[in-house]
Amino acid sequence: MTRDSGAAEDTALAWARARSSGPLRVSPGTPARRLPAGMLKLTEPGDAGVSWLVPQVPTDADARVLAEIGLPGPLLEQPNDTARMLAAVLRCCWADPLGPVWPGVRAGSGTLLAVFGEVTGPRDDAAHRRSAVAALRRLDQAAWVRWDEPAGTVRLGPRAALWSGGDLTMLRQLWRSIPAPPAAPSAVPPVRGPRR
Amino acid sequence: MADDGRARPGQPVQPGQPVQPGLDDLAGEAAVLRVYRQAFAVLAREAEKMILTPQLLDVDEAIFTAFAASGSDGLTEEQVRNACRRFPEATVARRFEVLKGYGAISKVFERPNERYYRAAFAPYIMLLFLRRIAERGGQSELHELLSLEHRSVSAPAAIAEDGRASAGRLTQVFRLIANELSIMSLSADVAQLRENAQLLWGNEALITRAERVHATVLHRWPVLDRECQWLRAGLVAYRDAIDAAAARLIERAGTTRALGLLPAEEWRTFARTAGTEELAAVLDTFAFDAPAPWFDPQAMTEAVESGGQPEVTRTPPPRPAAEGAEAAGPVPDDQAGATVAELLGRSRSADVAALLRAAPDWAGARRILAQLTAADCDPALPYSLTWADGLVVTEEGSPSWVTHGRFERHEDAS
Repeated sequence: MTRDSGAAEDTALAWARARSSGPLRVSPGTPARRLPAGMLKLTEPGDAGVSWLVPQVPTDADARVLAEIGLPGPLLEQPNDTARMLAAVLRCCWADPLGPVWPGVRAGSGTLLAVFGEVTGPRDDAAHRRSAVAALRRLDQAAWVRWDEPAGTVRLGPRAALWSGGDLTMLRQLWRSIPAPPAAPSAVPPVRGPRR
Repeated sequence: MADDGRARPGQPVQPGQPVQPGLDDLAGEAAVLRVYRQAFAVLAREAEKMILTPQLLDVDEAIFTAFAASGSDGLTEEQVRNACRRFPEATVARRFEVLKGYGAISKVFERPNERYYRAAFAPYIMLLFLRRIAERGGQSELHELLSLEHRSVSAPAAIAEDGRASAGRLTQVFRLIANELSIMSLSADVAQLRENAQLLWGNEALITRAERVHATVLHRWPVLDRECQWLRAGLVAYRDAIDAAAARLIERAGTTRALGLLPAEEWRTFARTAGTEELAAVLDTFAFDAPAPWFDPQAMTEAVESGGQPEVTRTPPPRPAAEGAEAAGPVPDDQAGATVAELLGRSRSADVAALLRAAPDWAGARRILAQLTAADCDPALPYSLTWADGLVVTEEGSPSWVTHGRFERHEDAS
C-alpha cells in the first residue's frame, strides 16, 4: 500500500456513513480534509456555508437498477403525491432549466403550494396542505429536498445533484409541462406541520 | 312432572295445550328476574339507563367494599357515605339510590323507618366479571365457560337436553365473535384491529376445547347431530374470521412497513439488546444503500400527468384464500439466475474477489456484485453468498477494495 492508511480509513468511513444515512452533511466548522475518493462535495450557496458529501456512483450501478434486477427498493408511502411534490419543488427551485439543477434557488412555501395544487388538481384545502406537508417531510428525510420548516422555505437537496444528464433531459420536459409559479410570493401563510 | 299439563319455561308451548303457569313457575321466574336485576344494577346509571363512565363503577365497588367490611349488622346510608368519602357525596348518594332501586341493596328488615341496609353479592360478582372482561377481552371467561360446558355434558347424569342447550350456547358465542371479527376485518382500520388483536392470537386452544365439547355431545347423543352441525359451522366461521383479520393485519404491516404494529418500546428493546448479527439481518434483503427511495424522472412525469384526476383509495376485492398464496409469491427472477449461472460456469463455487476483479471496470464489478446479492436474496435460486472478514486493498486493482467471500451453488436444491 502506497497511500497513507489514514486517508483510506477516512474514505471507507465516509462511504459507510453515506450508505447508512445518505448524503453527509459537513458543517462549516469542521476542518477541511481531503475529499474521500469517489465522493462529490457540494457547497450550498449562502452565508451558512453548509456542504454535503455525496457518493458518486455510475448511473448504471446505483439504486435505479433495482427495478431491472427485480428487487424491491425502500418503500415510499404515497409515492405519487411525493413524486408530484418533488416535481413542484423542481419547478420552483430550478430557476434556469438550461443550467445545472443544483444548487437552485430557494422557494417560498406559498409559491410551492400553488404549484403543487396545479399538479395535483382540485382538492379540499386541508387535505391539500396535509399531503403537501407529508410529501415535504418524506422528501426532506431522504435529502431530496431541504425544507426549512420554521422559515417556510424549500430548496433542492443534495440528492438532486445525482440526476444524470439523461435524467435531466426528461426533467427539463417535465419542467416545461408544469405551469410557472405565480410571480409575486402570494399571501398564503407558510406551511406548518402539526406540532410533533 | 312433564305430564301435568303445564308449559315449562324455556319450552315452546304446544298448540292445544292449556297455558296455565303454576305458582312454582312464577316463583322461579321471579327469582331469576330478581338476580338478573341485581346483577345489572352495577350497569344502571339511573333506572332504565346504562352506565357510561368507568368512574361510576369505582363508586359501586367502594360501596360494596363498605358493606363487605361492615359485618352482619349492615350499614346506614350515612355510614356508606362516610366510607366512600373520597368520591363526591352527590355521586355516592345517587349510586346508592340506583343500587337500591334495582334491589342490589335492600333493607335489613323490611319495615318502615329501617335505617340499616345490606348488599346482595350478585352485583359484586358481576362487577368482578366486568373488570376481568375489560382487562382480558373476555377470552379467559370463554375458556372457563368451555371447560364448564365440557364438564356438564360429560357428567353421568346429563341428559340430551343438557347437550342441546350446551351446543346451542356455544354456537351463539362463536357466531357472535366470528361476526364481530369479520365485520372488523372488512371495514375497521388497522389501529382498531390491533386493539382487538387479543381476540385473534392464541385462540387455537378455544377452538380445540369447543371441538372437544362437540365430540362429547355428538358421541353421547347422536340425535343431536343437527345442533352439532350448527356448532361446527360456527367454529369454522370463527376460524375463517381469524384468518381474514390476521391476514389483513399482516398485509398492512408488509405493504406500508407499518412498524407501529408493534409498540415503539419493542423496537427500542430490540435495537438495544440484539447482537450485531441480528441487527445486520434486518438489512439482508437490501442489495443497495438502504436510506432513501430513488425518483426516476419517468415515474415523476407519470405521476404529474396523472395528477389531475381525483384519487380514490381502492380496497382490494376479497380473494379466495387458496389461490392467493400462489399468485402473491415472488416471480422468480430469471435474469439474475442466468447471469450468475454464467459467472459460475461449471464450478460449484467461486471466490467473489476473483469474480469482481475479472470485471472490465468498476461499474461492471458493482453490477456483478448486485447480481450475486440478488441471487443470494432470492429464495427460489439455489445460490448463497458467504462473506469473509477483512478488506483487501490493492492500489492497482479494479476495484481496489474487495472483501473475500464465496459464492456457492447448492447441488441438492437444483
